[in-house]
Amino acid sequence: MREITLSQAVNEAIAEEMRRDPTVFLLGEDVAEAGTPFKVLSGLVEEFGTARVIDTPISEPGFMGLAVGAAMTGARPIVDLMFGDFIFLVMDQLCNQAAKIHYMSGGKLNVPLVLRTNMGATRRSAAQHSQSLQALVAHIPGLKVAMPSSAYEAKGLMKTAIRDNNPVVIFEDKLMYQDKAPVPEEEFLIPFGVANIKREGTDITLIATSSMVQVAEKAAELLAAEGISAEVIDPRTIVPLDEATLLKSVRKTSRAIVIDEGHQSYGITAEIASRLNEKAFYHLDAPVLRKGAMDVPVPFSPALEDVTVPTPEGVAAHARKLCAGEMIHAA
Amino acid sequence: MRHDVTMPQLGMAQDAGRIVAWLKAAGDTVAKGDALFEVETDKATMEVEAQASGFLTGITAQEGEDVPVGAVIARISDSAEDDSPTPAPSQDQSDELPEGRAVTMPQLGMAQDSGLLVNWTKALGDKVAADDILFEVETDKSTMEVPAGLDGYLAATLAEAGEDVPVGATLAIISADKPATTTARSAMSTPAPTEAKASAALAATTPARAEEQPARKPHPAPAAQGRILASPKARRLALERGLDLNKLVAAGHPQPFHVRDLDDLANLPAKAPATTTMTAATIRLTAEIATDGFTAFAQWAAASHGLTDRDALLAGIAGASLSQPGIVAIERHGQTRSFAIPPDRALSAITRSDDPPTLILRDLRDTALRAVTTGAEDTPVLTLMSGHMGLILTLECRADQMAAPAAIALLSAFAGRMEQPLRHLL
Repeated sequence: MREITLSQAVNEAIAEEMRRDPTVFLLGEDVAEAGTPFKVLSGLVEEFGTARVIDTPISEPGFMGLAVGAAMTGARPIVDLMFGDFIFLVMDQLCNQAAKIHYMSGGKLNVPLVLRTNMGATRRSAAQHSQSLQALVAHIPGLKVAMPSSAYEAKGLMKTAIRDNNPVVIFEDKLMYQDKAPVPEEEFLIPFGVANIKREGTDITLIATSSMVQVAEKAAELLAAEGISAEVIDPRTIVPLDEATLLKSVRKTSRAIVIDEGHQSYGITAEIASRLNEKAFYHLDAPVLRKGAMDVPVPFSPALEDVTVPTPEGVAAHARKLCAGEMIHAA
Repeated sequence: MRHDVTMPQLGMAQDAGRIVAWLKAAGDTVAKGDALFEVETDKATMEVEAQASGFLTGITAQEGEDVPVGAVIARISDSAEDDSPTPAPSQDQSDELPEGRAVTMPQLGMAQDSGLLVNWTKALGDKVAADDILFEVETDKSTMEVPAGLDGYLAATLAEAGEDVPVGATLAIISADKPATTTARSAMSTPAPTEAKASAALAATTPARAEEQPARKPHPAPAAQGRILASPKARRLALERGLDLNKLVAAGHPQPFHVRDLDDLANLPAKAPATTTMTAATIRLTAEIATDGFTAFAQWAAASHGLTDRDALLAGIAGASLSQPGIVAIERHGQTRSFAIPPDRALSAITRSDDPPTLILRDLRDTALRAVTTGAEDTPVLTLMSGHMGLILTLECRADQMAAPAAIALLSAFAGRMEQPLRHLL
């Protein structure tokens, strides 16, 4: 199978859906001429024109509000938010309007909108351009949250998101845009709420999102060399969450570490760990551990930045302790 | 059938309403749904409909008057002449309570279901006016002074300061005339009042709520020493398999226990929790004595002391050879009889026992066997066999049951006693 970059996969998904459905359009800062700072959308304006690939002023609340209105009245906007950190600027449009309108209109209005943005540290972009804020969005009922872990997921989840009648936020890891993965040429969609078991194992379950799937897979390699068999699961969408697959795995392995690049406290990892505790308690042979980013603003210093995010070695060290039956006091 | 007309709660935070106008006069016929009176709250003015059909009687609230929510302001009666005192409390359950009208715990917040009575600001028997502050209530949000809402005399208080009282429950009774006797009760001792119709539903839930509080168990004090640290899965599996985690504790297994520790637990010997599964060295000792003194000794003991149980005697001699008193089991032809050896080792004080033995004496004297090597068992085994002249004695045990010096001492002492029982007993 051909291999393409995550960036190309997103571009393909959007182009295919724009060809298929004339109501799909794209708007955001530098999406047309520049094709985004990460060159994800290059070539789209040439094919679809400036009426469907719209460069906006630097005005996140404005164009997000515009998109919500367009979605309510029949269009399928894809909003490009240049950095995930800018999500704070569109919180009202996203969380108070888009997420609630279907409910508050008694089901009369839909908001088929995709907000595609990014996350991820270690790009030396400092504290205001390095955050992983998926937990903020996942907390709000009415929003779906997808976190592709490779080019394959990026394409399949994006196409599903565009066809969804509800607002979907997609967080792409900005360090993965040039990562290649096998992606079929024929059309495919990845349904929401279906986790992917990336690697089967029997001793411990590593649940990881987005680029943390790579971290988990590397940790599993390290552990395999020591005779510890780790299962790696990518939930692919945080909302909806494929709880059944996660629980089934943890009932089998009786141990789990949840890994996400958002800050550890009150985060995605905490939510998933809590559900495992609630629903698989009597199958647990060790506490479920969280591995998130340190609870600090992401440092600009590369040496410091690198220690704030989960690493394969760190995950393996924790997995080793859990499998050895060591007393665990804290993650 | 009479129907009380009460001040409705028209807003969520409303606690009183002003009667703007009565739209029916006393004695008028009213049909259910007719506009009965007009109420003004802080937000709006509304017409309130009659909830029953009949004759409007017993109007107590005049136009322009502020009336607390829930207070009875009139009645819809079967006849226009019904002029009995406005809503007389039902007499059935208020056995010794003075007659009068009820004052109930008001709802001061949307989510409030009870209020804490802070204190009464009027004494029993006091004359009260509707606007007089009667008591203070504390909710989770605030403390408020509550007016009596009625003119009259404070005839009864049905809750004490400091008590939590459900919204709608009767707190006090105000009588029209100065009461001859007054009543003070605690809310705990007051049965749920049936007087206020509005509180009927709440009253039904009141006893349940009152029961809940004393039933709430205090947190069990953590048993610092007794708590076993084990994973939830290990606990569940131990329960399912009937394994006792305490045995792992007794065996000195390091905590916390995990699933893999259950295999060790399952392999622990049932009767010897302190031993490990490691195979300790086996000890096998053999002694041979030229003469069997026991047969003659047993005959003598039976004849002169009435000790007719030869097994008891044999157990006594073996037991006397142990370093400490214990239980000796005599095995013969697959039958086992156990005997407890008393501390003074008196042969006459030996009793039968069902306790696990400390030593097994396997009697093979009436067989042709001359040597055995059965290997160590759960208990040290002394085998007794007939030799060419006297007896052959073999002791087999594990080093962790009995160390070599102790085993040698036991077999030597036993051999000596079997050769000359009398000498060793004296």
